[in-house]
Amino acid sequence: MNQPYRLLGLGLLLAGVIFAPVSYFILNSPALTAVGISLLILGFTCIALANTRPYISPEACRVMLRTGMENTAALLEELGLRNKAIYLPSSLRDGRPQAVVPLAEGEAPKIRGKIPGRLVVRFGARPQDVAIAVTTPGSINLEMLETPPGPTSGELEAAISYILIGILDLASSVSVNLADSRVSVEINDPRLYWEDIWYYRSLGSPLASIAAAIACEGLDRPVRIENEACEKGKARIELEVLG
Amino acid sequence: MRIYNNYIISLVLAFGAINSILAAGGQEQLDVYFTVNIIAYLVISLLYVYFNPRARRVINTVGVVLFGGFLVIVAFKVMEVLGR
Repeated sequence: MNQPYRLLGLGLLLAGVIFAPVSYFILNSPALTAVGISLLILGFTCIALANTRPYISPEACRVMLRTGMENTAALLEELGLRNKAIYLPSSLRDGRPQAVVPLAEGEAPKIRGKIPGRLVVRFGARPQDVAIAVTTPGSINLEMLETPPGPTSGELEAAISYILIGILDLASSVSVNLADSRVSVEINDPRLYWEDIWYYRSLGSPLASIAAAIACEGLDRPVRIENEACEKGKARIELEVLG
Repeated sequence: MRIYNNYIISLVLAFGAINSILAAGGQEQLDVYFTVNIIAYLVISLLYVYFNPRARRVINTVGVVLFGGFLVIVAFKVMEVLGR
């Protein structure tokens, strides 16, 4: 995994170690010596970055992601749940953000109070207010944030960018707009796309799940993925902030 | 890791541009090249705010070492000025 950066770094270091003294002592050229020093700086940087690469291969991560997704999808499919999941902030779910999929179809349900940390949960006063609570990729990723996200669009954008660009390398840029109980997230150059499968229809794609989990945590209100579209290297995610 | 690649490419372009411009301007002092390159490194590193914590830590370490070199140059220059 970290081999290309290490090789590049060693190559640059070797070139710099040879080039800088030759330029300084033999060619007597400050400009070429500066090039040699630049090669040394780049070499050290590449070697340092090589040590920060993940130990687990992308293939192993993919296997684990698919296993979890397929298990959750099997559960949803077996129960015949077609409702869109509601992402809950950690304050409503025993300190850990999760998503609930309501069993009954209809309007967006109102979440009343804290929901217990169980698989089958009751979230309202009505008999049909029962849901399945599941952990999503977004829920897990929130633990990677150094500080909890804030409620403004700028803070949400920074948190989503940090996870998607800096940690997971799943996109090249992210923009977030917040208006009228709606959060619009635009992800440029995404590496995971929406697929028409049961899991994505209910819980959203991993990108949307991450955006929804961060948005609900930042706003401290439940959030539902309203729409998700992918076109010309852009993913657009519309989130509905529930009362 | 596209963010790593972008970072390294940014550094290469910045160093290349700085060295070319200074060389074209007839600059003959090595400490000027070194100082400007270090400043470029620190600025570019600061702009990549979305690095993961481990990458940020090692980049900061390299930055501290380079900044130490920059301080040594400044110290020599100050001694040179005071010695006149």
